[in-house]
Parts: sequence; structure tokens; C-alpha cells
Amino acid sequence: MSDTRRGFFQLLTRGGGALVVAGVAVKATTAHMSRSGLPARSLAPDNRKWVMVVDLAKCDGCGDCTKACTKMHFVPPLQEWIKVFEVTGNDAAGSYFLPRPCMHCDNPPCVRACPVGATYKRSDGIVMMDQERCIGCRNCIAQCPYSARSFNWGEPPHTPEELQAAYSVEHNYPHRRGVVEKCIMCPEMLRMGMLPACADTCKMGAIYFGDELEDAVTNSKGETMQFSQIAEKHSAFRLMEELGTEPRVYYLPPVNRKYPSPEEKHMQEDTPMHHAAS
Amino acid sequence: MNERENVIMRSLGMQGRAFRTWVSLLGAIIVWGVFAYSLQFRHGLIETGMRDQISWGLYISNFVFFIGISHAGTLISAILRVTDAGWRRPITRLAEGITVVSLCIGASMILVDLGRPERALNVILYGRIQSPIVWDLLGVTTYLTGSLLYFYLPLMPDLAILASQPGIGNVRRRFFRLLSLGWTGTPGEWHLLEKAISVMAVAIIPLAISVHTVVSWIFAMTLRPGWDSTIFGPYFVVGAIYSGAAAVVLSMCIMRRVMGLEAYLEPIHFRNLGLLLLSFSGLYLYFNINEYLTAAYKFQGGEKVLLDRLFRGDYAPYFWTTQVVGVALPMLLMGTVLGPKRYRQFAIPGLGLASFLVIIGAWAKRYLIVVPTLSSPFLPIQRVPATWAHYSPSWVEWSITAAAFAAFLLLYTLLSKVFPVVSIWETRHTARSEEEEMVEVPASFGPRAWGVPAALPVLLICGLFLCTGAGRAQDSSSIKPGKQKPTAMSVSWKALPPEQTPPAEDARLVPPGSPEHIYAITRSLPIGWPGSEEGETGRVPSHSVIAVAAQLRDASGKPLAWQAVSFSLKTSLGKLDFGNLPTDGDGKAQLIVRDHRYGRYPVSVAYRGDDSHLESVGEVLVDFGPRPAPALPEAGVLIGPTFAPVIGLPFLAFYGSMWVVFVYVVGYLVSWRMRRERLRTSADARVAGFAPVLDGLP
Repeated sequence: MSDTRRGFFQLLTRGGGALVVAGVAVKATTAHMSRSGLPARSLAPDNRKWVMVVDLAKCDGCGDCTKACTKMHFVPPLQEWIKVFEVTGNDAAGSYFLPRPCMHCDNPPCVRACPVGATYKRSDGIVMMDQERCIGCRNCIAQCPYSARSFNWGEPPHTPEELQAAYSVEHNYPHRRGVVEKCIMCPEMLRMGMLPACADTCKMGAIYFGDELEDAVTNSKGETMQFSQIAEKHSAFRLMEELGTEPRVYYLPPVNRKYPSPEEKHMQEDTPMHHAAS
Repeated sequence: MNERENVIMRSLGMQGRAFRTWVSLLGAIIVWGVFAYSLQFRHGLIETGMRDQISWGLYISNFVFFIGISHAGTLISAILRVTDAGWRRPITRLAEGITVVSLCIGASMILVDLGRPERALNVILYGRIQSPIVWDLLGVTTYLTGSLLYFYLPLMPDLAILASQPGIGNVRRRFFRLLSLGWTGTPGEWHLLEKAISVMAVAIIPLAISVHTVVSWIFAMTLRPGWDSTIFGPYFVVGAIYSGAAAVVLSMCIMRRVMGLEAYLEPIHFRNLGLLLLSFSGLYLYFNINEYLTAAYKFQGGEKVLLDRLFRGDYAPYFWTTQVVGVALPMLLMGTVLGPKRYRQFAIPGLGLASFLVIIGAWAKRYLIVVPTLSSPFLPIQRVPATWAHYSPSWVEWSITAAAFAAFLLLYTLLSKVFPVVSIWETRHTARSEEEEMVEVPASFGPRAWGVPAALPVLLICGLFLCTGAGRAQDSSSIKPGKQKPTAMSVSWKALPPEQTPPAEDARLVPPGSPEHIYAITRSLPIGWPGSEEGETGRVPSHSVIAVAAQLRDASGKPLAWQAVSFSLKTSLGKLDFGNLPTDGDGKAQLIVRDHRYGRYPVSVAYRGDDSHLESVGEVLVDFGPRPAPALPEAGVLIGPTFAPVIGLPFLAFYGSMWVVFVYVVGYLVSWRMRRERLRTSADARVAGFAPVLDGLP
């Protein structure tokens, strides 16, 4: 009896030893991986650090960015990968428009919590979304503090051009049912050296986009600014900095606005479009 | 078998109109639910009331609820067994059955909630141990296996006893005999069984606590108001045990009535369990106060919106009703029927009603944990249809929920009809004189060996990256006929060595103890990205200061003084303008660039020309230094795509050790040792000439 017990405990200790060895090996391999290069999915085609700067002083809330994005990615109806919010938190300060794409956080809660690695951070800063791997648990939607993620609740309506394309994680269509969708910063356009659809379309030139390693951001009007300089000079902020998500989207404060504020716009249009839940 | 045990024998019969009606009613509800699910499977989750804003609803509430109910078995069986509370004996089986059934239902709720159930295997193929969903998968499967074992082990002697009874059907006899693994009831077998059950009882307590903790962590690991709470683990565990105990009391009341188990389930059992439930309601109340008061006192940020809605907004009626029905009323009711002597005669129906209320309240509370938080996000819900901003479950969700409850009841009914609801062997020697003690719940913790390797030295100072080079001037002046004279622009650049670097106006000194310093330290800790602190990927070369010099000459080579030349740099997406600089007496202009830039860029210097001179452009390729190697960001704590040992190993070690215990119990104690024991006894018996007594007791 004691023999068998001893044998059993020997097995246990050996098993434990094997576990420790396995752990060390895993640690060693992962350390090796991060030295020699990242896992293939995390590597971007170019060595870049994309960054977006939205000048809130220039945004007039026209929603062209949303339309262009929807057109380029065939975004299913009722989804807005870049959504223009009306910020009305402070009565004294008045309201302003705030376009919200995916923040492509450097410490992304969605990537942290995805059980299958369907959403992942790329070395160029983009948080990618792989609809071929997503299981539709929607944990990332619960995780995202910016409400930047959507879900295909039903089969999205298709267009022939959308269906013609082969699925690529870089354009995220054809769309399919039961998976999560989000802004992916148009990696296909970036590959061609073009601005993402939203930045390219903004007629106010409010959305600047560029490479942090180039220290330059460009808007649709071809105005190129030194990123570090405008960020500093205009006291750029990031949404919900206190959450520690480290977004890659910066906002320039809405000072000296030269467009009608949301209230004035509503008065002109007389169409309430505000469904704030709170 | 005595008269008392015949009651159990009779309870196994599946005859009777009431039983058939009950089963067919439940079956009909389940069929309806399956139909609803088939619709959802075909059309997607569009059939539900969930939308982008409120993306979890009834299914997740049900999941949390059923996992909570599953704590019944742990509490009643394991804790009371470990603390050797004798009065538990008639109710352990009931409780363990609830655990097994509710775990099956709870786990299937997650599958129902998936947008892509056919891809569920991806969790195993591509599973990331960093994800709370994977913790849940590990936890629930381990717990289900453990509770099945824990249900099964004490059943073995009963199965052997029942298989030997004359009144049992042939099919069932064969089935029982098979499952009893040839149990003969020798003292050696009893000893091993007791040991196996004790080991399982000890193992299953930390396991159960861990399971509801990781369920709560699905929520607590988010940044959402209302979920972003450090006490969610114990809060959920207490809530789970509370609802689980209530489920046991309720099932005792029903079983006693339906199966006529008055001889087993005596008022003393109700009283003891009622007191336990009452103390849990107090504990749960305490946790509720702790959770809501700490948030309500500060009334901060996103919590403010949520609490406003819960306390006095649109969710207030539900919230306060839930608190009253789930906590206050049961407490009052239990206090009444357990306290004053004159109301004690109503103890059993009173407790039944109280536990029913507790269960209703528990379910509503799960819903109020999931839905209001999701409908109060940080950014307001704007520009969506009104139906998207408010969650109202669709008939499909209600049908599937009803089917889940029906399936729970059906499985539990069948389980109690197939197997004896009361442990026969354990209650044979129930000593009425045993102490009717109240049992304190022992705190138990799983091993949480967070192996934290020694912190690596902090890399604070990076050497100044230096690069030099000179670009050849390129002449690209266009010559036009006329009286304007052609000009030529020659451009060169050099990286200024550090000592020549003029002090930048924006150079900010980092005082010690500033956030930058703190970040540097957290980065060197082995949290997050393995190996990042040692690799060159983490080191960003400092920016070089570039001086671009241009000289403007005319066709004869004479420098043009006091002319404006503009400097610009071509980036991949645009052209960065540095503005104009005047040339000096030698026709030279110098631009100093201190930008945070890497890589090679063409810098062009342009002269616009004037009345007497043509325009000219000079371009040079400036090297701002190599781009840093591609890497994932290190700011904050990025939990990377690869296996993160610091997070993964504790989970794997904990649940792995549970599987080791299961293997030990089943493989070693039950299969291996028991068989040897039996062989030895039968050999002894052959020698001694007597057969082992089947109904033998330890």
C-alpha cells in the first residue's frame, strides 16, 4: 500500500517537475519570440506607428467620415465604425462634435480579453479584427470603453461588389453573421500610401493621419503637420486617458470653433437626433 | 431494507399520472425552446433583443444564475462533509444533483449566447489563457467533472444495494450494477470510498469558489462602471452560495412533499439549513451594501450614471424590488419562522417560500448586474434606433430561458427518479443524537502561486543615437528663356553631434518620481510582454538633431543673399512644411530639425524666384536614423498574443492540480485500489468459505 502511494507521489513530483520544465521552456520560447520578431499575426507589413489626430475645432459634424467609411468597407446598416458623437456633458462649455473611430489602444482591453485572438494588436499600432476566427462571444464589446465595436446580429445585407472580393483581414468584408466588426484604420489604403477613408473625405480637414515614427500627420487637404508639435501646442488629449488604454487617436480641443454647434445645428434642421440614454 | 428505505425504492418508480404530466409539460417547454433556438441558429442573434449597446442579456444572466445555483452541492455536501456535520446526510445527494444539473444548463447558456456556436472549438484551437472566457471554460469543465465525480462516488454503494433489491427492474438492475463498478461492500472498499469522498470534498471547495470567481471576473476584468469592482469575486461567490443554499431548501421542500420523504427530511434539517441560509442572507446583504455604498458615496463618473438609474432612474423599481424580494423579505420570513417558538410550526413552508423568493431575487439580480451596466456606457448611446438603446428580451430569448429552466427541472426530476434522492448508506446510521450544530463555513483558498521572477534592472538611459552622412546636392533648376537668370540650390545635411546640440526649448527634465519613472519601473516588471524588458525592441533610440543647410547661387555661381527659401520634407502621406528661411550673406540658409522622426526622407529646399531669378529646388535624402524594430507597445500592461506565463500558469496549475486530484481519486483510489481490495477479499473469502456481505457497512 505504501509502495503504491510512494509510486503515486513519485508520479506527482515528476509531473510537477515536467510542468516546471514546460513552463521554463514556454517562457524561453516566448522570450525568444519577442527578441527575434513577433508572432506573424502581430507583424505589420511596414514598420510604422500609425496615429490619428482629430481637430475638434474643425469638426462640423457633417458625418462624411462615417459615410465614406461605410462606403469603403461596405459597413452593414446601423453600424458606424467611425461615429460622430455630440458631446453635451458640460452646459457652460457648450457642445461639440466628436468623431470616434476605434482608438487602436496601445493597451487594448479588447485584445486582452479575446479568448481566441480574433482581435489582435499589430506592430504598426492597428488593432485588427479577424472575422474568420471570431466566435461571437462579444466579450470585446463588453470590454471596449469607447463603444467602438459592433456585432453582426443577423446576416448583413450584401452588395455584389462586396461579395466579389475575397475576404481579407485588411478590409474585413464580405461581412458575415455572428462576428464582431470595428474600424481597422483602412490598412489596405495605408499599404497604397493613401489616407484612411475618413481622413481622406473630411472636407473640413479635421482628421489628420500619419506615422508617429515620421512625426507627421496629414489631412484631406494635404496639410501635413508635425505630430509632436501640434499635439503639444494644442494640448492634445486622448479619450478617457484615465482608463490607461493608451489610445492612438488624439484629439485637439474644440477651441475657437468656426461652425455651428450641435444645438444651433439642431435648431436649423429642427430634427432631434439625440437619443442619449442617460 | 427497512420501511424507511422502501420509501426511496418507491420514489424511483416512473409511473403515475402526475409524473408523466410533469415530464411532458417540461418536455413541451423544452421542445418549444429548441424550436426557438433553431430559429436563432438559422438567422443569428438578430432574433434576440440584444444589440450593439446591450450586447449581453438574458443568456449571460442565466449563465451566471445557473453557475450560482450550482454552488448548492459544494456548500451542503462538501463544506458540511469536511466539517463533519452529521445532519447533512439526507440532503447531500439532493444538493449534489442540483450542482451537476445546473452546471450543465449554465455551460450550455454560453453556447447559446455565441454568435458562432459552430466555431466554439476555436477556444481550444486558438485559446488564450489570458482571456477570462478561457478561465471560465477551464473552471466550468473542471468543476463539472469534479461535481459529477462527487455526485457519483457516494452513489456507488447505493447502486450496489439497489441492484440487489428484488423490486427493481432488469434494465435498471443491470445499469446500476454496471455503474457500481462491482461494489461488494468490504471494509477495505468502504475505507477507500470514504477516503475518495473526503479528498473530493476538500478539492471541490476551492474549485467551486474559483469557478464563481472567474465567472465574476468576466465582468470585473472590464472597465465598465458597475463591473469594474475589486470585490466582484467574493460578492459573486457569496451570492452564488446564497442562491445555491436556497435551491437546496426549495428542492427539499418539494421532494419531501412529492416523494414522501418525511422520514428523511425532518424539521431539524430545515432548521439547520434555514439558519445557514439566514446567515448567508446577512452576508449577502453585507456585500450588497459594501458594493453599492462605496460607489454611491463617491458618485463618480460612469458609476454616477449607472447608480442614478439603479437607485432612482428607470431601473429603480426592479432594483429595489429585487433587493426586497431577494434579501429583505426572505430575511424577515426566515427570522420569523426560525426565531420565535410559536411560529416554528410554519418553518418548512416558510423556508420554502423564502428560498423561492431568494431564487427569484437571485435571477433578477444577475439580470440587473448584466444589463444596466451595458446600457450605461461611458460614451452616450446616440444615433441608434430607440430599440437599440433599451434592451427588452425577445420571445426567442424568453423561450430559451424557459426551456433552460424546464431542462433544469426535467434533468433534476429524471436524476432523482433514476438515482435515489437520499443517500441510503449514509442515512442508515443517522444518529438522531448527533449534535445539531451550526456550521461555520471555512474559508478556503486555492493555491495561487504567483511566481514573480525577480525584477530586472531598469533600463533608463539610452545612448544618444548618432548618425552622420551627407547628401549630394541635386540641381533641378528649370531654365526658362527670359530675363530671369537661372539659379541653383545646393543642399546638404548633417546630424549634429550631441555636444553641439543647442538646448531645445521644449526639453523637459524628468524629475525623479514622475510618472515616467514609475512607468519605467512597471515596464521592467515581468507583467505583460515576456522578454520585452531585455530585448532591443523596448529601446527607442533617441532623436537625432538634423541640420539641413542650403546654398542658393545664380548661374554664375555667385551666392544669392537675403532670399527666402522654403524647406519641406516628404512624408509617406504628405509634405511637411518647415516654412521659409532667409539666406545669409553667403546665400546660405540652415534649418535645424529636432523632430521625433525616424527613417529616410527627401528634404527639399525651394527658391521661388523673383523678377530677376528663376525658381530652383534642391533635394537631399536625410537620414533621421533607423526606425526602431517593429514591436508591440509597452505602455501600460499589454497582455500579449502569446502565452503569458504570469497569468496563465497559476490558472493551469490550479485547475491542473484539480485534474490530478480527479485522476488520483478515480484512477488510483476507486479503480485501482478498490479492485485490488476486492480481489484480495474474494480470495480471502474463498479460503475462509464465506461471501462478503453486500449490504455491509463500515
